[in-house]
Amino acid sequence: MTKKKLLVDPKSLKFLTAVSSIEYSKPTLKMGALIASVFDASHGVVYVGERASGFHGSSVNMTRQNLDNWNIIHPGLEVLEWALEEIKKMSPENQDLAKIKFNPDHVHEEDGRVRVILPNDKGSRIELILREGELVDQLRREIQLEDYNLAIIGGSQNKRHLAHSIIQYIPCSIFVLQKFNPRKHYKLLLLVDDSAATRKSVEYGALIAKKLGWPVRTLTVSKTKRFGEGYQGAADLTKAYFQSKDIEVEQFFLTGDPVRTFVEFAGDNHFIIMGASTLNPVKQLLFGSKPIKTLEQTDVPILIVR
Amino acid sequence: MFITADMIFWVQQKRWLLIALAVGAVLYWFIPHPESLGQDAYHILIIILMTLILILKEPIPLPAIALQLIFWQVIIGGSTANEVGSYFMNDAVFFIMGSLMLAVAIVSQGLDKRLALGIIRITGNKTWRIVTGFTAISALLSSFMGPHMVTAMMLPVALTLIRFTNKSRKSIRGLTASLLFAIAYGAMFGSIGTPSGGGRNVIMMNYWAEFGSGSLSYIEWIKLVYPMVLLEIPLAAFIILKTFPPELPVLDTAVRRLSAEVARSGKTTLKQMATLLLFGGVLLGWAFLSENYGLGSIALIGVFLFVAFGLVSWEELSKGTNWGVILLFGATISIGVQMKNTGGAAWLADGSVNLLKGLIPNIDALRAVVSVALSGVLSNLLSGSATVAVVGPVVLNLGGDPILLGLASVISSAFGYFTTVAAPACTIIYSSGLVKAPDFLRAGWKMAVMSTLSLALVGLVWWPLFR
Amino acid sequence: MTIYIDVLFWMRQKRWFLIAIAYGLFMHFGVSPPADLNPAAFDALIIISMALILIITEPLPLPAIAMFMLFMQVVLGIDTANNVASSFMNDAVFFIMGSLMLAVAIVSQGLDKRLALGIITLTGHKTWRIVAGFTAISAILASFIGEHTVAAMMMPVGLTLVRYANKDPKKVAGLTAALLFSIAYGATIGSIGTPSGGGRNVIMMNYWAEFGAGSVTYLEWIKYVYPMVLFQIPFTVIILLWTFKPEQSNLDSAVRKLVIDVARAGKIKGREWLAIFLFFLVFLGWVFLSEDFGLGIIALLGVFLYLAFGLVEWQELNRKTNWGVILLFGAAISIGIQMNKTGAAEWIAQVIIVNLGKVINDPAILQGSVSVLLTGFMSNILSSSATVAVVGPIVLDLGGDKILIGYATAIASAFGYFTAVAAPACTIIYSSGLVKSKDFLRAGWKMGILSLVSLLGLSLLWWPLL
Repeated sequence: MTKKKLLVDPKSLKFLTAVSSIEYSKPTLKMGALIASVFDASHGVVYVGERASGFHGSSVNMTRQNLDNWNIIHPGLEVLEWALEEIKKMSPENQDLAKIKFNPDHVHEEDGRVRVILPNDKGSRIELILREGELVDQLRREIQLEDYNLAIIGGSQNKRHLAHSIIQYIPCSIFVLQKFNPRKHYKLLLLVDDSAATRKSVEYGALIAKKLGWPVRTLTVSKTKRFGEGYQGAADLTKAYFQSKDIEVEQFFLTGDPVRTFVEFAGDNHFIIMGASTLNPVKQLLFGSKPIKTLEQTDVPILIVR
Repeated sequence: MFITADMIFWVQQKRWLLIALAVGAVLYWFIPHPESLGQDAYHILIIILMTLILILKEPIPLPAIALQLIFWQVIIGGSTANEVGSYFMNDAVFFIMGSLMLAVAIVSQGLDKRLALGIIRITGNKTWRIVTGFTAISALLSSFMGPHMVTAMMLPVALTLIRFTNKSRKSIRGLTASLLFAIAYGAMFGSIGTPSGGGRNVIMMNYWAEFGSGSLSYIEWIKLVYPMVLLEIPLAAFIILKTFPPELPVLDTAVRRLSAEVARSGKTTLKQMATLLLFGGVLLGWAFLSENYGLGSIALIGVFLFVAFGLVSWEELSKGTNWGVILLFGATISIGVQMKNTGGAAWLADGSVNLLKGLIPNIDALRAVVSVALSGVLSNLLSGSATVAVVGPVVLNLGGDPILLGLASVISSAFGYFTTVAAPACTIIYSSGLVKAPDFLRAGWKMAVMSTLSLALVGLVWWPLFR
Repeated sequence: MTIYIDVLFWMRQKRWFLIAIAYGLFMHFGVSPPADLNPAAFDALIIISMALILIITEPLPLPAIAMFMLFMQVVLGIDTANNVASSFMNDAVFFIMGSLMLAVAIVSQGLDKRLALGIITLTGHKTWRIVAGFTAISAILASFIGEHTVAAMMMPVGLTLVRYANKDPKKVAGLTAALLFSIAYGATIGSIGTPSGGGRNVIMMNYWAEFGAGSVTYLEWIKYVYPMVLFQIPFTVIILLWTFKPEQSNLDSAVRKLVIDVARAGKIKGREWLAIFLFFLVFLGWVFLSEDFGLGIIALLGVFLYLAFGLVEWQELNRKTNWGVILLFGAAISIGIQMNKTGAAEWIAQVIIVNLGKVINDPAILQGSVSVLLTGFMSNILSSSATVAVVGPIVLDLGGDKILIGYATAIASAFGYFTAVAAPACTIIYSSGLVKSKDFLRAGWKMGILSLVSLLGLSLLWWPLL
């Protein structure tokens, strides 16, 4: 079998984790760091804070400057400091990581965001970024600025509303970590059809399965009882790919409404991996798409691959 | 693909801009003006409506809103550019510009550490006394220098005190909230005490002069309004302590550490003394010279002297000044004046009186209620100064005593207790991340009731003694 | 002890400020105004002279001087605070504010680099050719669309070239001045070329109609005046190169960097097309709608569109716009209005006429020199439109050929070379912070002479032919 070109080049990946508070972001951060290490990617952590209304922005800035004189730092910087410590805790044997120190005075304002400068950052490739504004808008800008490949976001209460915006407007792969329980045993559920994005998601899935050792299942759903050549072919290629990497995979073929079937099958013990939609943006806005609807209805973590 | 994801994203983010424009377009082209309202006045009101939608939802930055306020007045409001310009700038805008810059100049001197020491000496270390002390001092200072400066200076003191208690954040939520709200609410109700306490006060004084309604000197204003401030101090402290009961009755460790920290910062420097003297001079100027020169000119003189004496550099001032806000105030005041000139304000005033005539037969009470309600409600959505800029002309057209009604409107515009965005003091304490939006509601409604009752009391008992 | 040193040092640094204050106090309290000048007008003149001293010697930052001009009007009782404030803001200030902000917006999209590259492809890399190219292009464009617009458009281009020549602007002060002044002076000399070149031209055409002097068509104006524009271009280039002596004789390395940067930015993206399109809209607005709405309003509309379409962030505008210059311009306009209101401007005009009349007997020459000198001098303080508005009636009343006198006045009102506030183009380049007040003086007097000579030549040699 001819060797196909890898769509996912593991050497130069950049991942971005969005954190919002010390109380709620721990699982997201842990997963983000884990995934980054699985893919050996550089890892950026971004805190998106609320922007003060235009009327009082300058008063807030003036106060912040004053607070600086008292060594009281921006709440977002506090969260970033905590994030760095958590990342260090996850790899206690990593000496390079342990040497990195957080200094709230070493921040650089550029391109509409604040970046914390971390000296001694040799090869660990961690970025800490502070932004203010609306979440989706700021994430979009950050991703466009630094060309991230994957954004890791926690689930949120406003899931319905954000789901649409996040999936439609964030220009890279997205990992939405909902109700992620680090102690649970998850299986990987790969949604396979004949779209181009499936190939890339297969490669992602294989890498994750290989490094984390989780069992893999693929699911192909057709609205009719027949599975056309495209679907069947895709499923076969997938199996072949996994076998070439020495990974066992169970394959399922079900009939019904794709989104509802995904959601029911996933239950609460699978990680879903699926490709992004290929519908044009206007149709997506008006009618939604498979990934958007899946995210709205499911409660498990879901990785959407672009 | 002609329509890209970028464009759709833009439409989604800016939808309120498109909605506001659509509303304006429909009203302008399809709905004719009511007979009692002139065409120009109608157009002005359309512009104001669009602007209110934009300010509430902020799809575009505030300065852009200011810009559209300016050019719509010329394009559909029937003014010339020079006319708009001439209404744009007045003593009130000078004052807003000057006081923002003075705030930057003074705060950058680091006088708050001295202030902290002074406060602790007076209040001691019992928590309820500290909270009351914070409320009182924020109110008193804010009445002369405005809420921005006071909050910017007091917040670090409170946060440091909290940090020095060495307790986890969760365990002292009540203490944190009570200290922070003491500062914010104190600064808010204090800022109405003298004309120099806030831009909204000067905007109203400006309208009185423009509309020929009479005037109040600095001292007269204090005589009429300060008793209310003094009345509110103990009541506010009580409300805050009851809503956010502090977990620690005494803060001796924290206070001791704070004193030590402050003492370490050394003696007062020459620059700081010069700052205090200069600011004292500005205050005296406001108190005694403002009738001749205007509060704004005196503020600018103050800024000029700060720069001339090298106490602050122009770069620092320019960076710390939000020019967009100044633009916005100029723009809203210019449209306020246009509202009056075209008769739009009178139409709105008559309309609201007619609407409520059935409910409140007493015309004086009706007028008071309209002023207070309009200002009080709007000020929780817009900033207090923007509220007065827009509501002022309407209130001054209700009839009755424009000075007292104007005062009532200004006072109520300080009732922005409910939301985190309306008043600068609230925005500042919210930005610390230590108080949450529901906290504002919990204490806010009590403060609003207390303030309204105090206003009623002062209005019915104290003011008639003078006018 | 150190306190005394601090204070003494302050006094040394700010000595011109103290001198100006002393002068002002002396004039106000010690000298009584001339009989035919009312005290308010006299005070206005005192404030202006103090401001001129401060602007030229710069002991304080310009915005402080602006505030000074504003509040002194109130303190000396010339007008109430609200009236002073009203006089501060008008379409002209809106225009300066808007065009400075537009410049920031254009730069943030990187369009200035592309325009710079385009110009350099035409002119080549030798410094003198680039300076000549800038001067010529600014002059020709300004003659059709006005100096304001051209200065606003070209400044980011000039600044880009400067930055590429050397990261440290102090090392290339001569080159910087040469490039920036080529824009400002180019625009100024060009703005007289056609009626649409400047508001003052329109004001004069109005006066001709009002004073019954007849009317002049667009093409007639060009016939009478354009030769002077073309004549001045090469000489302006010579003056600039001679005064400012650019440090580099060619800008090869700067151009190379520019080419690389533009190439790296890739093809023009969607957002950049939008930015160009919006600017084109603003430009059309300026050409066709400015009579109805005002140049300034259209500029502000342009900024609004840039903000609404997300092409620039307000934080960037706030940070990078030079607010001090806007304040200064507003203050200058405000005091200009006061000079007019109090009658100080008329008084100056009368004084000069009377005194010159003692020296020059020939009425024709008298008229000519009065209108030219008076206008030229005053337009360095007031705006050129205000100058023409004030001086026009006086001069047209002196008799003689109203049309020719009118041309001379309109042309002379463009002689705003000497201070940063003399003309909007000067203000705009001054706002970059890279040229000093004395630079204006150094080149200004030579330009003044050049323009006077050219005007003389035009009136003596060319006009009699027509």
